[in-house]
Amino acid sequence: MARVVVLGAGISGHTAVLHLRRSLGKNHEIVMVTPNSKWNWIPSNIWVGVGKMSAEQVTFPLAPIYKRKGIEFHQALGTSIHPEGDKDHVKGFVTIKYTSPEKAGQEAQLEYDYLINATGPKLNFAATEGLGPDGHTVSVCTAGHAIEAAEKFQEVIAKLKAGQKQRLVIGVGHGTCTCEGAAFEYTFNVEHELVQVGVRDLAEVIYLTNEYELGDFGVGGMSFAQRGFQTNSKLWTESLFLERGVKAILQSHVSKVEAGVIHYEQLDGVKRTLDFDFAMLLPPFRGADIKAFNKAGEEITSELFAPSGFMKVDANYTPKPYEEWKAEDWPTTYQVPAFPNIFAVGIAFAPPHQISKPLTSATGTLIAPSPPRTGMPSGVMGKTAALTIIDQIKRGVNGKVHGASMANMGAACVASAGAGFTNGSAAAMTMYPVVPDYEKYPGVGRSSKDTFGEIGLAGHWIKYMLHIMFIYKAKARPFWFLIPE
Amino acid sequence: MDNFADLTGAPRPIDKTLKMRKNVLFQFWRFISLNVRMVAMIFRGDH
Repeated sequence: MARVVVLGAGISGHTAVLHLRRSLGKNHEIVMVTPNSKWNWIPSNIWVGVGKMSAEQVTFPLAPIYKRKGIEFHQALGTSIHPEGDKDHVKGFVTIKYTSPEKAGQEAQLEYDYLINATGPKLNFAATEGLGPDGHTVSVCTAGHAIEAAEKFQEVIAKLKAGQKQRLVIGVGHGTCTCEGAAFEYTFNVEHELVQVGVRDLAEVIYLTNEYELGDFGVGGMSFAQRGFQTNSKLWTESLFLERGVKAILQSHVSKVEAGVIHYEQLDGVKRTLDFDFAMLLPPFRGADIKAFNKAGEEITSELFAPSGFMKVDANYTPKPYEEWKAEDWPTTYQVPAFPNIFAVGIAFAPPHQISKPLTSATGTLIAPSPPRTGMPSGVMGKTAALTIIDQIKRGVNGKVHGASMANMGAACVASAGAGFTNGSAAAMTMYPVVPDYEKYPGVGRSSKDTFGEIGLAGHWIKYMLHIMFIYKAKARPFWFLIPE
Repeated sequence: MDNFADLTGAPRPIDKTLKMRKNVLFQFWRFISLNVRMVAMIFRGDH
């Protein structure tokens, strides 16, 4: 009998437990530890944030799903990992702290044979003074945040209807943020809603980003082959901004937010301010800040985790100049080298480097989008770790170690630009691979056949279809496993 | 002072392009085509 513990029920962790449970007999224990009681299809939070969907449409309770599938569920936060065990535990174990109302604050220790760290990001609003729902801006990172954003957005619409001009600023709240695609989506959904309610003329919509140029999306931009020409995501994205009358401020690090005022610095080192009536700025991410201890009880956190709090896996973390970065630096198995029975997947693993070229301002401030690890790659990583564990449990040390590198993996990103069955729009983009491989694809780093983008109503239908499909899959409905990650 | 990105060099879509982006029949074809291309892309790489 083997016991597999998974920390975190986001896309990667939840995908992993479902595959583990499907392939391993009931004599093996699959344990999920996650602080939230509900699963959230985060890509649709954008629609919650403009009032087009309710929180209930993008979330569902996890406990009934896990009960039905025979997965042990602890609503708790993982606080420490003890990979060598200790004097009381022969096996590795994790310490957890319950967050469920009935056990809140209680601690427990769970032994494991295999551990998957899929804890996702800690929303690091504290990195920028005044950022976030406890400060002066809203967020769409969680369904709860998105509800609050929708309420504030409705207040803005009411003021616009009353004839008051409003400035809406949407973007990222720190120079090292990721998920620029989500900020882009929210920008255009907000703009679309303003048009729908007839108040667009009084609203100024501004996209504030750390990207070097529009269309970078934290992946260094994309090159597309279209109608016999090679074009790129910069031109394509700029065209959308021009068409919709959205202004953009690039290469920015937000240093502070006060009531109605954003302080930011750009690459030229000049510190500027931007007044706003409504601001949705995404926070930077860091790891879940789990501690690690050896058998003697000494802290070994720095051996397992990068300073960012993300877990170090089978990547090449040797510091080197941007020009020397290679596709093969990126991990494939997501195993922790010193402890091959521990995996880190999704946002929880430490990327070896950025994908976009990191830059510093004239005053030395780092302005560098962090690599996005969106739903599709996260799901594939979760499945990959699960397949390795399944094979090793069934075949012992000869079990196959599965691999899936972001440098050999594609991603589809459907960025909504407005909801509506006949008047919606989205930018549907794919890139292959996510991490450019300049040796395999000289010049552009990606396959021109599999990297493309298109704007239109079809994109909205695809995004809505993905919403339906992935919630169906996450609920482990019949034949859920036929839906690709 | 605000420092907005210069978008004057960006191509502005013509009316026909904007109409086709909302034409239900054309977009249904694009929906099928995009899905096929995306699935092919997924299965070409690690998945």
